[in-house]
Amino acid sequence: MAQEAEKKAANEELRIGVFVCHCGTNIESVIDVDELARYSWTLPGVVYVEDMDYPCSRQGQDRMIFAIRRHKLNRVVLAGCSPRLYEPTFQRCVSKADLNPWLFEMANIREFSSFCHQNKPKEATEKAKETIKMAVAKASLLERLQSIELPVKKAVLVIGGGIAGISASLDLADMGYKVYVVEKSESIGGHMAMLDKTFPTLDCSICIEGPKMVDVGRHPNIEIISYADILKVDGYIGDFKVKIRRNPRYVIAKNCTGCGECRDACPIEYPNPTDMKMGLRKAISVPFDQAVPLIYTINMDYCIECFKCVDACGAREAINFDQKPEEVEINVGAIIASIGYDMYTPEETNAYGYGKFDNVFTSLELERLLLAAGPTGGKVIRASDGQKPHSVVFIQCVGSRDVNKYEYCSGFCCMYTLKHAVMLKEKYRDEVQIYVFYTDMRSNFKGYEEFFNRALKGGVNFVRVKLENRLVTEDPATKNLTVYGETEDGQQVKVAADMVVLANAAIPSETAGELAKMLAISLGKDGFFAECQPKIRPTDTDMPGIFLAGACQGLKDIPYSVSQGSAAAAQAATVLSKPAWTVEPIVARVDEDLCSGCRICESVCGYNAINVEQISEKQLAKVTEGLCRGCGICSSACPMDAIQMPHYTDGQVVAQIRAVLERGEKQ
Amino acid sequence: MPLKTVKKDTAEALTLEWVLQVKDYKLVLDKKRCVGCQICSLACPKEAIKLEKQPKILGEKAKRANIDIDLAKCNFCGICDLSCPYGAVRFTLNGEHVLSVVEKESFPELIRDIQVDLGRCPTDCLDCEDACPLSLITVKRLTTDVKPVESLGFMTENERKALQTNVDVQKEYCPCCRICEFKCPEDVITVRKFIEGKIAIDQEKCPEGCTDCLDICPITGALYFSDEDKKVHVNELFCVYCGACKVVCPVDEALELKRTKIVHSPVRSGAWNKALEKLTSPVEMAKELKAKSSQRARKSVYKRIDLKEA
Repeated sequence: MAQEAEKKAANEELRIGVFVCHCGTNIESVIDVDELARYSWTLPGVVYVEDMDYPCSRQGQDRMIFAIRRHKLNRVVLAGCSPRLYEPTFQRCVSKADLNPWLFEMANIREFSSFCHQNKPKEATEKAKETIKMAVAKASLLERLQSIELPVKKAVLVIGGGIAGISASLDLADMGYKVYVVEKSESIGGHMAMLDKTFPTLDCSICIEGPKMVDVGRHPNIEIISYADILKVDGYIGDFKVKIRRNPRYVIAKNCTGCGECRDACPIEYPNPTDMKMGLRKAISVPFDQAVPLIYTINMDYCIECFKCVDACGAREAINFDQKPEEVEINVGAIIASIGYDMYTPEETNAYGYGKFDNVFTSLELERLLLAAGPTGGKVIRASDGQKPHSVVFIQCVGSRDVNKYEYCSGFCCMYTLKHAVMLKEKYRDEVQIYVFYTDMRSNFKGYEEFFNRALKGGVNFVRVKLENRLVTEDPATKNLTVYGETEDGQQVKVAADMVVLANAAIPSETAGELAKMLAISLGKDGFFAECQPKIRPTDTDMPGIFLAGACQGLKDIPYSVSQGSAAAAQAATVLSKPAWTVEPIVARVDEDLCSGCRICESVCGYNAINVEQISEKQLAKVTEGLCRGCGICSSACPMDAIQMPHYTDGQVVAQIRAVLERGEKQ
Repeated sequence: MPLKTVKKDTAEALTLEWVLQVKDYKLVLDKKRCVGCQICSLACPKEAIKLEKQPKILGEKAKRANIDIDLAKCNFCGICDLSCPYGAVRFTLNGEHVLSVVEKESFPELIRDIQVDLGRCPTDCLDCEDACPLSLITVKRLTTDVKPVESLGFMTENERKALQTNVDVQKEYCPCCRICEFKCPEDVITVRKFIEGKIAIDQEKCPEGCTDCLDICPITGALYFSDEDKKVHVNELFCVYCGACKVVCPVDEALELKRTKIVHSPVRSGAWNKALEKLTSPVEMAKELKAKSSQRARKSVYKRIDLKEA
């Protein structure tokens, strides 16, 4: 069928239609559109010309379809805006007129002429003419192309089991898709599982996240691969092959009942990262009681191999000191990256004395002190003497909004500081004085400003200071602190404090760079994963089939992360719900007779989409269609001219160049 | 407050610390007591302890090897404390000398079996106090109203007889060399070595005139220099098999040391088996395991036939 159509095409008479867009006044105010229309009539092969106000509008498209049918047009050129914006729209439009969408060509006379040469209307018009001439020259050589269909695996990989990943996983699993959740640490839950309360409602964090974690653990469509690392990601949208390494827990998952008798028998303790290393956990333990999956893990960095746990486990025989890392390979149609963030640790040398003065804490450390299941059993006490503080100073924007450190605003610090201030005030009433050294209080979103007012009414003192010249000093004898700041009008403020809490910046996860490389997605300048388009495609990456959720794309609080998790799930479902994913036919085409198998194309391809393989006694370049992004670098690098890019063939490109360089035609 | 990990090295002590908001783990190596033997480095399950041999300066006596503990590897289990024959390492948790590995029976304590039959102790003898090479023994005389006696010179025979004698041995630092036992004129003291073994010097390999091992040996009399052949010889009676001599010996295989048994509180632990294997040999470790299992078998038999253990 296709061959027949091509034959028909080869024999057919060239009938090009040119549509010139006014784009309201965007084009018309600079360029003489009537002149363009007149000129277009003179170009070879052109049988129809029409100028319109808005071809992209419903009426405009209808008129184009009508014209294509009425004048039996077999090539269409639109002179208007950038193909980046409207090419897919007009391709659909010409398809409606039963024309192959790849017989459509756009001449950009807006960004290339009217926008950039506003003060030179005459020259702009000349340039626009040449642009149209080039487009017509190319259009006359355009070929019919067929879109490529890639089969889609009905499974999805969610990388990172924080609240965003949990939200995405549950949504997709409920839609009926198989979900693999790969989690780096021993339990899913992420940062939210470390929190005591959530703002602005002061809900118990684990009480609202815990049931979701259990749902993930029990869902028949979800498989959690925890304590695991992603090793390699191959493939493309619809068919990703992911290699994962399950790290040894030295505990056999299916035999472990989570009873904790091994933990009670273990003699060794080590600083628990979940408690911000303020408390301890046993060498065989779970990071926190609500861990999902509830499987114990031996930390071999600390274990002395006394085997007391083996005795305690007894007939369950869940402990295996010979466990080795295990590699798993999964095959999925889409991937959601939700790896979250890390917290910046203010260095010892900086002005706030963190790590140097005993009673300077980070916000997450205070969170663990407030938590009833935390290292102090919910008592907020000083590290130096175990006493309750009577004056607490919070310092905002530590590391964030600092051009020398992290220029961005971490977003949620103002709110968690308000939360801590309200909790301390409501817990200790008038026994504690609270000061917040802030620069700007950012409490947008639902219910947040009201929460700020609650803190204000509760007697929290807000001190507005400049970001610079903030300082903490310590009296070495009493370990009491003094916090200095400078107000906007240059006044120095000085507050005595028993405890100082730093709102330290949240930063990209340390694994972000490595994972970005594996997924072939890009990082933004701030180090977070870059979305495809910040406004209208915030969950897409520039790699089709890979989506973003949660703080790994940019810092977010819990409700925002949950929503983005669901958004990414919906995006992934647009892929998974189709039997096959359609991609543009602009993928490299190799002429097997010309190819010498020199591997130059292989070395220049940025997407690993072209590889030289042994094909029937010959070394030939082979293109993986799902990976090829149509950039054309292989085509231009090929010394044998064996690679052509459909829709951008050498013939088409040369015709365009000829058209623009032709003399005599110029007026 | 973030976790503070501290390592402090002074002339007197090497101190390692984990300071957490809620707990304080501390390990102190008393450099005056440390003899630079290799026992702790062999026993350490995390291989965090390294011996650093001191360079020999011509014309000076040999120096004991230094102990260095790697803060990044140390897990504050306290096994070095438990295994040091000289009690040179002290582990404390919040200032208290409590060892979780002992409580959970993950590692044994060395049994320092030192018996003093005070009833037979002569009232005017200080031989054991004088003999102890580590000065761990204090002999005190007390009057009937429990007052310490400064001097015996002005006392009558009867008064002397009425005195109580108290021999105070600082057990936790005692390597049980038995010198006091042998020096005691009345056989009042009995000491059992907690490390048994064999030591021999290969006189052919031992360099003439070298006294490095003798210089550093903390037990006076365990090694002696013979003027006849200008070489060092061993008196096995007093040797505690700590191995400090072997660490400084400049010639490989000149000094042969084998530990065969360690007397310890009962324990069933992989960590101990591993330490024992390194301190003695796989064969000796297997022997202990076998003995243990036969003990268990005996216990169960006794239980069945309702016999009390002898």
